[in-house]
Amino acid sequence: MRPLALDLGLAAGAGLVLVADLFTAPQQKRLLGQLSVAILVLLFVASFFLDTTGAAFSGAYVGGPWVLFFKRAALAAGALALLGGLEHVAERWPHRQGEYALMVLSSVLGMTLLPGARDLIFLIVAFELMGVPLYVLATFGKDDSGRHSAEAGLKLYVVGAASTAITLFGLSLVVGLAGTTRLAGIATLPLSPLLGVGMMLLVAGMGFKLGVAPFHMWVPDTYQGASTPFVSFLSVAPKASGLAALVVVFSVGLSAHRATWLPVLVTLSALTLLVGNLLAIPQPNVKRLLAFSGVAQMGYLLMGLAAGTTEGIGMTLFYAATYIPTNLGVFLVVHAVTRADSVDPKDEGDAERTVSTFDGLARRSPWLAMAFLLFLLSLAGIPFVAGFWAQLYVFMAAWKVGLGWLVVLGAVLATVALYYYLGLARAAYVNPPKRSSGLAVDPALAFAIVVCLLAVVLIGVWPRPLLDAAMRAAAAAF
Amino acid sequence: MSASPFAETMASFPLLSLVTFLPVAGALLLLLVPGTNERAIRGTGLFISLVAFIASVFVWRRFADVTGFQLVERHAWIPSLGIGYTLGIDGISFLLVMLTTFITPIALLSSTHAIEHRVKEFTISVLLLETAMLGALVSLDLVLFYVFWEAMLIPMYLLIGVWGGKERIYATTKFFLYTMLGSVLMLVGVLYLYLRTNPASAAFADVLEIPLTRTEQLWLFAAFGLAFAIKVPLFPFHTWLPDAHTEAPTAGSVILAGVLLKMGTYGFLRFAFPLFPEAVGVYSVPMMALAVIGIIYGAMTAYAQTDVKKLVAYSSVSHMGYIVLGMFALTKAGIEGAMLQMLNHGISTGALFLCVGVLYERRHTREISEYGGLAKVVPVFATIFMIVTFSSIGLPGTNGFVGEFLILTGTFEEALSSHLDATLAWKDFLLSWRVVTTVFATIATLGVVLGAVYMLSMFRRVMFGEIKNPKNLTLKDLSPRELLYLVPMVVLIFLIGFFPNVLLNKMHRSVDAFVDHYRPAIVKARSPETVAAREGARAVEAR
Repeated sequence: MRPLALDLGLAAGAGLVLVADLFTAPQQKRLLGQLSVAILVLLFVASFFLDTTGAAFSGAYVGGPWVLFFKRAALAAGALALLGGLEHVAERWPHRQGEYALMVLSSVLGMTLLPGARDLIFLIVAFELMGVPLYVLATFGKDDSGRHSAEAGLKLYVVGAASTAITLFGLSLVVGLAGTTRLAGIATLPLSPLLGVGMMLLVAGMGFKLGVAPFHMWVPDTYQGASTPFVSFLSVAPKASGLAALVVVFSVGLSAHRATWLPVLVTLSALTLLVGNLLAIPQPNVKRLLAFSGVAQMGYLLMGLAAGTTEGIGMTLFYAATYIPTNLGVFLVVHAVTRADSVDPKDEGDAERTVSTFDGLARRSPWLAMAFLLFLLSLAGIPFVAGFWAQLYVFMAAWKVGLGWLVVLGAVLATVALYYYLGLARAAYVNPPKRSSGLAVDPALAFAIVVCLLAVVLIGVWPRPLLDAAMRAAAAAF
Repeated sequence: MSASPFAETMASFPLLSLVTFLPVAGALLLLLVPGTNERAIRGTGLFISLVAFIASVFVWRRFADVTGFQLVERHAWIPSLGIGYTLGIDGISFLLVMLTTFITPIALLSSTHAIEHRVKEFTISVLLLETAMLGALVSLDLVLFYVFWEAMLIPMYLLIGVWGGKERIYATTKFFLYTMLGSVLMLVGVLYLYLRTNPASAAFADVLEIPLTRTEQLWLFAAFGLAFAIKVPLFPFHTWLPDAHTEAPTAGSVILAGVLLKMGTYGFLRFAFPLFPEAVGVYSVPMMALAVIGIIYGAMTAYAQTDVKKLVAYSSVSHMGYIVLGMFALTKAGIEGAMLQMLNHGISTGALFLCVGVLYERRHTREISEYGGLAKVVPVFATIFMIVTFSSIGLPGTNGFVGEFLILTGTFEEALSSHLDATLAWKDFLLSWRVVTTVFATIATLGVVLGAVYMLSMFRRVMFGEIKNPKNLTLKDLSPRELLYLVPMVVLIFLIGFFPNVLLNKMHRSVDAFVDHYRPAIVKARSPETVAAREGARAVEAR
């Protein structure tokens, strides 16, 4: 059970929160959120000291640097997102704080389990453990914010269920051919039309989860309707796990048939880059804009994977790891502004925020504006923040295997992306403020933003430790 | 002779890092100063930029008369990918470093009245910009260079976008997107070069070792050249410049004209020429043609302007054309002239923008027709403006003369020393290097006359004649603060005009080595004989 030590700890923690929820008085429910953050942070720290190598369940689960990389990413993302939304959840759903925290913990548990799976059943169970709590979390605000939250949850649920069905169908074909659910058994399959169909179905199913074009339709609606702190989590952590699932099934399991699936990934990457970047331009709604920008980011993520090399996987891991503080940070800033403005009776509401929400942010709160600018620059891939290296590395990986045209496409579209990111930065720095009031940010949220900001800047200046870790993790994937 | 311990410490002291990162340290310091205390903020900003200037004076003192890079600092940054933190200067970058540290305090000083809101952010932006510019100039690692190159965009974007004129959003977005498009394609080129090294390294010295085929060079030059050409800006990539200049605040224009544009020409000299000599040879004629078109087009468009700042902006297009022309002529005189002219343009156009700023602060208009007869009201300002105008035209005794003279001499030298083959058919004869360069040099010389036409006509309309507008009667002459930032510029104009060798001596070594080393390959690629030889070889192959 050694490789599962962290996961067991997390499961125990989730159980603790569940039980504690029964015994805490309504006015003390806030403690549950804090407890959950503490559990996640504790496990994150413990991950640096515990030895989690080895295999479990007679080889169905394998530990090591590869799994550890994702475990840390998921734990960190969960902790930061919970922390950022602590006050918000306490305010809006005072009686359901335990539930909220429990759902996040369960989802994180799915994420920490998934990358180590070397058995397809195990993989699917972990994948669903990650996904099902997200449906619940997306609909959390269905009572008070009107139709948007319900729509968000329903879309996520229907698309998620459909994609799971597609994934399972694809897997059943693959497993049927191989006669085993073990990855090692799949690896030796000869190429047949049926296996081809199975692989394409798998790509489609996982593409839905990742929000890769043309399976991205749910992304803007869900991001717009769901509560922002939850979106900050949804927009980063499941993406990293989706990436892990892709690597496990394709790069590890079906690596013999890369000639079949690599071109598909390349095409999807190009299509996603185009769709995400071009559709982000006309979005007036800030959450929808960031949703399409998130779709575009998945295109860059796939680019590293489409290189098909171990190095490419390493650089994709680096990309995913920098994407977590960056995009989480951006949504937390959006959340901070939304929350501060929601006291205004004329406020347009969470789901209806336009870019003009950020008008004059630099004058209302210089620090928040600076954080916002740096996150946006990181998304745009500008130097001295983490995103620059992430983009550079996936470009390198893709270029090395001769995908020069994809790199040029990505580079040109990065300029397009800059246009809409600058639109947000311009509102914050150039436009006069709509409201003269300052911005009060609660300490937990401010702390979460500062942690994200530090991560983005530190990785931007000193990318070496993270890069080395990502490379080690990628080498250990096989 | 044994060096004292102190001297040894000094020799290993990371002076370039200090100069480069001082402004950033200042910017961080400023974050702690409350935004309401504007005097303290302006004072700190100015102080820090002056300290950076003084530090760069130490660079001047340490700068030795040798070939190759000096004051080199080399540290691992991302060793697993071969990306390093490598700094160093030579005769090509050294004077631009000095120019940057010289212009920044002047720009800050000039903004005391012009920038009234959000002083803290303004000062921080200028300081960050200074670090990015210095970093790009001293980087000897391609990735590090690119990092600084890109980082220049953000503070400039804010400078134009926040403190600019009415159309600032349009101008700043255009500026950013134009330069970004050029840069990302350069990044692709950097990646290509980087992946050709073995073991992987982005160090300039390692990249230089790559044997590149002709086709590779042509493509890579296109990728790098586009980024540099947009920055210069070379006709027809110049359209962002008039907008950016017109909308930028005075300090932004001064830095933009003074230093930022030089990044393009510097990029050509530092990276494009050494890395892709054959491509430089092939593209010589088109590049020089664009430069000459820029000279004439910029001058004629400048003449047609009614807005004095736009006029100066278009004059930049014209002047930068000379620099590109001198570089591609590739004679020692031409390159030294181009490098000197980079400084000169920084000083005289910077000073012109400062003068326009002085006018604008008084009358809040830049329409030439609003002025007239100012020489009687503001004699001191008129004198300084006149000196700067002369420097921009290139009158003997001013810095502009030396630079333009060297460039034109260099171009003619190149033209007249090349082979004149009268046996060619008339079509080939007209396109031969000799004829083409002679034509370019001649047109460029005519451009000097055009330069005098638009500058002097502008000066006449602003300064001489009757005072038609009663508002101009009460204008105040220069304040001590304005004198403080204009006089150093004027002093430099004359110093370089009379003693250009002080600066030229600093670059001789590097330029000599540069020309000796790269000229043969470039000349081989552009001379018609090799073309003929290649076609002959192809014909043999075909048989």
